[in-house]
Amino acid sequence: MSAARGGARAAGARMNSTGPKVGETVERFELEKAWLVDPVSGREGPGEIVVTDGLLESVVWLEGAEAEGVTDEGVIVAPGFFDLHAHFREPGFEDAETVATGCAAAAHGGYTTVALMPNTQPALDEPGVLGRVRSAASAGGSPVEVLAFGAVSAGRAGEQLSAMGELADAGVVGYSDDGAPVKTPKLMRSALVYAGMLGLPIVEHAEDSELTAGAEAHEGYVASVMGLAGWPVAAEVDAVSRDLAILADALGDQPGARLHLTHVSTAAALDLVRRARAAGLPVTSDVTPHHLALTDEWIAGSRRWAWEALGKGGASRDPWADGALTAWPYNTSLRVNPPLRTAADAAACLAALIDGTASAVVTDHAPHTIVDKEVEFGKAANGISGIETALGVLLSLVDAGKLPLARAVAALTTGPASVVAAARRTAGIPAARPRGLTEGAPADLVVFDRSDCWTVAPDSLLSKGKNSPLIGRELPGRVLLTIAGGRLAYEDPSAADGDGA
Amino acid sequence: MTTVASAAPGASTVSWHHRHLIDVDVVSWPEIELIMRTTEEMKGILARPIRKVPALNGRRVTTLFYEASTRTRVSFETAARNLSADVVSIATATSSVTKGESLVDTIRTLEALGAEILVMRHSVSGAPYLAAEIFGGHVLNGGDGWHAHPTQALLDLYTMREHVPGGDLRGRKVAIVGDILHSRVARSNIWTLTAAGAELWLCGPATLLRGMDRWAGAWSGGAIPGHGRFNVTSDIDAAVRDADVVMGLRIQRERMQGGLLPSLREYAAMFQLNAERVSLAKPDAIVMHPGPMNEGVEIAPDVAISGRSVITDQVANGVAVRMALLYLLAGSHEPAHAEAAL
Repeated sequence: MSAARGGARAAGARMNSTGPKVGETVERFELEKAWLVDPVSGREGPGEIVVTDGLLESVVWLEGAEAEGVTDEGVIVAPGFFDLHAHFREPGFEDAETVATGCAAAAHGGYTTVALMPNTQPALDEPGVLGRVRSAASAGGSPVEVLAFGAVSAGRAGEQLSAMGELADAGVVGYSDDGAPVKTPKLMRSALVYAGMLGLPIVEHAEDSELTAGAEAHEGYVASVMGLAGWPVAAEVDAVSRDLAILADALGDQPGARLHLTHVSTAAALDLVRRARAAGLPVTSDVTPHHLALTDEWIAGSRRWAWEALGKGGASRDPWADGALTAWPYNTSLRVNPPLRTAADAAACLAALIDGTASAVVTDHAPHTIVDKEVEFGKAANGISGIETALGVLLSLVDAGKLPLARAVAALTTGPASVVAAARRTAGIPAARPRGLTEGAPADLVVFDRSDCWTVAPDSLLSKGKNSPLIGRELPGRVLLTIAGGRLAYEDPSAADGDGA
Repeated sequence: MTTVASAAPGASTVSWHHRHLIDVDVVSWPEIELIMRTTEEMKGILARPIRKVPALNGRRVTTLFYEASTRTRVSFETAARNLSADVVSIATATSSVTKGESLVDTIRTLEALGAEILVMRHSVSGAPYLAAEIFGGHVLNGGDGWHAHPTQALLDLYTMREHVPGGDLRGRKVAIVGDILHSRVARSNIWTLTAAGAELWLCGPATLLRGMDRWAGAWSGGAIPGHGRFNVTSDIDAAVRDADVVMGLRIQRERMQGGLLPSLREYAAMFQLNAERVSLAKPDAIVMHPGPMNEGVEIAPDVAISGRSVITDQVANGVAVRMALLYLLAGSHEPAHAEAAL
């Protein structure tokens, strides 16, 4: 990486490195005059870092004249991101994604740790499947740390518990039947108690499947006009209230019971979580970039951000009346579970993120093949390929003045790490990735340029899943470099070319 | 939606620029007027002893129906043949679709076989947009899911204008009664009738009106002062009273299994368009139905065949409207001068 190229990036930031290949230890990397964000110490500001032999040798905070001209709008250094919710499809659906391609995509998105959901084929419901995922990860050669959730139920069938204890011994960080909710209240109660005994959380996809049978899009104005079967808010709200009631009950048997609600998408469900937390229930939640920034009107052909679709009094504007419909309608890359909601719901997701009701932003990265997506809207698979666009979407919120940069970084680092921190201790997984800019620790960081936009395109995504509704859109925050556990995970190709190596 | 079409500006110079017709939401009022004028010319052809003209001679029209339909498909095929087009008819029950061929592959195959204009019916909302995205020719929507049935809405509009004194729907009260929630006919009619300035009332059991209030309320400054763009009610008498047009929609048996209706008997008792209810409408009001009818359920047999009923006019006008749309789409690269070409 040449200093000249680095210098051209932005605001005087200069990068020097010895040019390792992906997977190799970063022997020497220096970054001068960048904006550092450290969510562990809570500090951000101008600074310089040096990585030597894979360790973050020095972190220098600049002041006075040295700091001049360094702003938070140029090159930024943050701890490596942690995705608490991703689908890498292996084993079983390797045509959609593999652990290797998923890790490459993750590193391109700035992620250095991912926690994978167990809805593979076979489901990750016993240690053998976890072994296959781990083998694939190490064979892939990526330094991105791959963690996994085990299934709550055997075969994700919702009938009996998976091999929970054996999975805990093998090192899962929690349990989830994601893709579907834990099927019955009775099973949820057992799962919370048993997992609590093991010191691990249940990660719940909250959905009343009976209310959503046949549903195609958020039940609201857009679905009414487009003739799409409605996906009611109540389906999420009643599932969350069921889970919270069961959690309160289960705590009587097992004080260690913990619930994490993933990809919460509605204002009403987030209100329930907020109240439950205020009442002291051990519940956490997360939101996704697409529920923060996209709305159901995208299905009709709108392409404005959620905060631009918010009208007077918190109601959504009418895209049919105000000329917002610019794209072809019924794009299946917008079909996702839970569905894209209204502008008011997106605002509620953001408020929850800012007040801590939601502790993390997770991608719910759900790659699909073209065969599963190039079909009629109502027949398309649910899911968005999102691990490479999460940073750009959050930075769009930052650019719009809706989200402080430091909160965005925390939601991608310390927030998700905290959800499974206790689990990692229980499982004996060392906290190899510090989530802070800590001198002397293995370098685990991302360098991105907020002022440098990139265009989302099938070719620019390293994931096999090209099912992104952001295809064709420019996003801020090109990732220049990702170092995971002291090893190179991703380097922007223009940097590598400039090297002539 | 600029990708679908660019609307022509003034009514006097209006020409047809839409490559596809998937829904009426993107069709401007001057363009609707153009369709109405072209339909009028097509009706002139249908009044001749020999109903065939060479306008689409050698052009290839393919009908692809993923849902059972008799009247709509026959209507399209009759329209295409009247214009001398070559017609290929595909019912999916007898095609490779039963072997699992995807819509995209089917469309590509039909295009390779020479299809130029694709008339399509599909049970999934939005399916014709997918077809139009990959098809090199023109897509004409014959009904998709609950979403849209543009030719039905246009033939309804034409039929109403024929019968309403003065041929102008502004301020005229139109009541559509039945299963609004699942009706593509209702959805397309919302666009055309509100554009025409009609006072539109949607009526049915509350379970089958779901979400329509939201749509009505999303538009302010509509035709009805102090209200949304149209009225939504379960009060059948209020909907029908003083109406100029009363339209019934088909009630499907599946709605009982879905728990949306207790029984057809109860529906008939509460919402059937019978002589007593229709008598609340204006004396010269017309009764419409897109068919196929469940006589004795949503409409009483005597009402269906009464002097007020224009249901067979709808069927006849359907051929003329579809001729007009096939003609306009086939010539959408050039200004439409229907009279000259006929």
